[in-house]
Amino acid sequence: MKKKLRSYILNTCAVAALYGLAMLLIGSGAVNNYYLGIMLSAGISIVMAVSLNLTTGLLGQLALGHAGFMGVGAYAAALLSIHIGVDAQYIFPLSLFFGGLVAAIFGLIIGIPALRLGGDYLAIITLGFGEILRVLIINLDFTGGARGLRGIPRVTDFTYVYIVVALVVAVMFALGRSRHGRAILSIREDPVAAEASGIPTTYYKIFAFTLASFFAGVAGGLYAHYIGVLNPKNFGFAKSIEYLVMVVLGGMGSITGAVGAATVLTVLPEALRQFSDYRMLVYSLLLIMMMLFRPTGLLGTREFSLTALADRLLRRKPQAPDFAALAGELPPAALTHRLGEPPAPGAPALLRATNLGIQFGGLKAVSGFDLALEQGEIVGLIGPNGAGKTTVFNLLTNVYLPTAGGIEMEGRNIVGLPTHAITQVGIARTFQNIRLFKNLSVLDNVKIAFHNQMQYTPLEGTLRLPRYWWEEKLADARAYQLLHVFDMEGLADKQARNLPYGQQRKLEIARALAANPKLLLLDEPAAGMNPTETQELLATIRRIRDTFGVAVLLIEHDMSLVMGLCERLVVLDYGQIIATGTPEEIKRDPKVIGAYLGQ
Amino acid sequence: MIVLRQLINGLHVGSIYALIALGYTMVYGIVKLINFAHGDIIMVGSYVAMVLMAQAGLPFWAAMAASMALCGILGVTMERVAYKPLRSLPRINSLITAIGVSLLLQNTSQLIFSPNPQPFPTAFKVPPVSIGGLDIGFITLFTIVVSVGLMLALQAFVRATKMGKAMRAVSEDMGAAQLMGINVNTTVSVTFAIGSVLAAIGAVLYSSAYPSIAPTMGSLPGLKAFIAAVLGGIGVLPGAMLGGFIMGVAESLTKGFISSQLADAVVYGILIVVLLVKPSGILGRRTNEKV
Amino acid sequence: MLSVKGLEVYYGAIHALHGVSFDVAQGEIVSLIGANGAGKSTVLKTLSGLLRAKNGEAFFMKHSLRAMEPHSIVQAGLAQVPEGRRVFQQMTVQENLEMGAFTQRDRAAIEQGFEHVFARFPRLKERRRQLAGTLSGGEQQMLAMGRALMSVPKLLMLDEPSMGLSPILVNEIFSIIAEVSASGTTILLVEQNARMALSIAHRAYVLETGRIVMSGDAKELLGDDAIQKAYLGH
Repeated sequence: MKKKLRSYILNTCAVAALYGLAMLLIGSGAVNNYYLGIMLSAGISIVMAVSLNLTTGLLGQLALGHAGFMGVGAYAAALLSIHIGVDAQYIFPLSLFFGGLVAAIFGLIIGIPALRLGGDYLAIITLGFGEILRVLIINLDFTGGARGLRGIPRVTDFTYVYIVVALVVAVMFALGRSRHGRAILSIREDPVAAEASGIPTTYYKIFAFTLASFFAGVAGGLYAHYIGVLNPKNFGFAKSIEYLVMVVLGGMGSITGAVGAATVLTVLPEALRQFSDYRMLVYSLLLIMMMLFRPTGLLGTREFSLTALADRLLRRKPQAPDFAALAGELPPAALTHRLGEPPAPGAPALLRATNLGIQFGGLKAVSGFDLALEQGEIVGLIGPNGAGKTTVFNLLTNVYLPTAGGIEMEGRNIVGLPTHAITQVGIARTFQNIRLFKNLSVLDNVKIAFHNQMQYTPLEGTLRLPRYWWEEKLADARAYQLLHVFDMEGLADKQARNLPYGQQRKLEIARALAANPKLLLLDEPAAGMNPTETQELLATIRRIRDTFGVAVLLIEHDMSLVMGLCERLVVLDYGQIIATGTPEEIKRDPKVIGAYLGQ
Repeated sequence: MIVLRQLINGLHVGSIYALIALGYTMVYGIVKLINFAHGDIIMVGSYVAMVLMAQAGLPFWAAMAASMALCGILGVTMERVAYKPLRSLPRINSLITAIGVSLLLQNTSQLIFSPNPQPFPTAFKVPPVSIGGLDIGFITLFTIVVSVGLMLALQAFVRATKMGKAMRAVSEDMGAAQLMGINVNTTVSVTFAIGSVLAAIGAVLYSSAYPSIAPTMGSLPGLKAFIAAVLGGIGVLPGAMLGGFIMGVAESLTKGFISSQLADAVVYGILIVVLLVKPSGILGRRTNEKV
Repeated sequence: MLSVKGLEVYYGAIHALHGVSFDVAQGEIVSLIGANGAGKSTVLKTLSGLLRAKNGEAFFMKHSLRAMEPHSIVQAGLAQVPEGRRVFQQMTVQENLEMGAFTQRDRAAIEQGFEHVFARFPRLKERRRQLAGTLSGGEQQMLAMGRALMSVPKLLMLDEPSMGLSPILVNEIFSIIAEVSASGTTILLVEQNARMALSIAHRAYVLETGRIVMSGDAKELLGDDAIQKAYLGH
């Protein structure tokens, strides 16, 4: 917290100093109107690039109509200023907000259908939206049609632009480092794993897209009141592409990168004005070269940090957060997961699957699958590769919708619930082909799964209200505690992609546990581990069960693990259960020997 | 009668959109790239044909052949230099490169030919053909016949030839195709070559219909053809053709009976409705990700 | 015939193979066994040129595989039946087989290839006009094998041919592998079903977390205590 405070003060001072300097230069006449115009344009571009970065860089969804939202905001804000009958300079902030609001409503209307689909659909639909918008503006009367909307009061000045830029950038940073921002990032990294970690992905996609539209609308308002005349052509596809290029060149996902690229790409063409014939040629060549030789953009996903720079200048060593001390500050009750109450006699089973089945085309991948699990049990699901074991996991977590049968969790039907809701009900899982949030830190990988156990709202998070601090602190401490179970607390700052294979598997289990499950589904947790690691894993899984009281259902081929760990085994072959029983019974079962274990 | 006339006009533009859309859809099918520079190949094709006809005095056929050859080479070079090195990276990278290539082509041609529109020479000085009392311009008839012929030929190529089958195999599973001994790089090059050659033919036909060419002329038919490809189901050849015809006819009917201003809005509206009802496009297939 | 020395392969930061070395002689069936994630498929993918090795060498009949493109490797006579079969679902059985013969130039040889494959897999002949995606799992495995055989490989690599198949089908597939071997094709078999693999192989290598930890005569490995414990469930 002390470190954060220092960083806030440093950045606030820098922002204020930069403003002071700029105002001094403008006041002294050192910056003439031409340069001031470039500065204002750059500011507006920054807002556009930073907001598009939210959709494309942080959320990972390609949008090709960002300028369209700017246009909506520009027209909405301008029309309000023109028609309200009050001097525009008094209501300018209201106009800007109104522009943002209308753009956000458009974003919502477009985002809801487009973002449910995923893939390239958002790109295509936003592209269509931008064009439809242009055509509509030309054909409507109140927008001034093709002649353009004239007579907009030119009240945008440096102070307004500067404040909006500073606010938008600050909101992006604050949001990015909250549970909501982590939810957005997790979708970019792996939507399936995000959903399995309890993140309502569709909600957050729409949230991020709408927020980006809002900021684009505000930028549009600034633009309208700066330029004075609006022409539908200025919000077309080419303009959207220009902003996209800024985001990509800055480094997708880097907020400071977007700021830098937006500034450079606004100033550069002006600087090259005397070579105007070759300007665009150079620009296009740069774009191609950049992608070929530096495909991650200027900053990649990194951020420029003033605090880090200051630390380096002052030769202060960045200190790792002291999690142990952190854990000490918290009341012990906050740290431990509650152990489940022992079930009342006659209570429904923790999980009950009855006659579960699914067909792909004509192929019955799983059929007649029955299973009842009690709290704290460790059960193994074994069988040859391709027998349908992972399909069972996908059915239990509703990645696939079963074509037959039912699933109940503590007596409640969970068929048809979205995957993230199933995680909230208490089923968490790992994946056969490890699905971590690779570009995020080990700590964030775990913290993402705490999402539903935290309550602070996006506003509380952005304003850094007390609940944010308290819950984040708790989350850090609990994440640290979980990592400690796997001996990984020393790796908290590392990028998940840089961990060795065995550690990645363990991190995935830690992340699943972070979702506070009653039932943990592990898909081949020992795959890729050597015998020593496998034995360690065996002990860890048992300890997890004893500490957290979870039931474990695991798919595994390693017989030493399965036989040593599981209390009960279910053998699947060709999509059907061929045997159930204790490891000893299974070892002797002739059917199992024939299909799987062999003579 | 007016309906019929508009319908034929619609088929005329629609078949050009379809020709161009084939290039988008083939490239998307095989490397999952929205090749934004495809529209600019139309522009290059038109300028090449224009220069050869108006300045070098070549006949229509020769100019068209030269334009096809040049565009084919351009398409392949584009892929080799700008897209191939990025094949293993996230798709947004090649998308941005495609935008870069598009701007490069537009600005180069602006330097050579100036930004001002230039007339495209009339190819056929033939009187309209009268069918059942309806006068149809020769170029309209020619365009529809050539386009439909080319589409059928392409369909046959992809169905029946070794290279065509290899293209389908690569677009379905690039890794498995490599294990068959299929040279993926050659296959992708051939795909770009075919797409670009079709675009060149589309260019000459387009410029004959709207005989004023400019460095940015490719954007509009490019965008519309892309939408046609999406409408029909991107990656599916018959889908591109169907999408092209639907676009052309819808545009032409709107122009004729509602308002020429709203033609584009109607077209995009159809796209959005189709995507909402069937996200993979009219003839597209939905693919599921394996977990 | 195939000689692999010190193969090192990375997936990003993950070190998947730590110096894998083994040999396959003409006419042999050699099996690579090991748990899921041990790196078996990685070995085959690297040999086929789909992955690039960071260090090490692989020679196939005088060819250095490291410098070759995937299609030239197939042309040189090294074919692979990939894990999960990966037949071209939207193409017919016949077209899938034609793709398998992609490197063959001689029409007569291709015709002969069809005859051989149809003789070995009569069910494929019945279904030659059907789309491969509509075949059952066992038929798809046969198609994948037939498709690889169309290139008339000198060495055939199979990745988990038993995956997802019922015991009867597994037996059928393995007896076909033995027949293919008997007709003169050398076989490198990657299998998670160690018992099946060891029962038909001459020699085997055991892969564990990217390293060869054991090798030897297949029959001896079948009787080995450590192997029995780790892979055979005793």
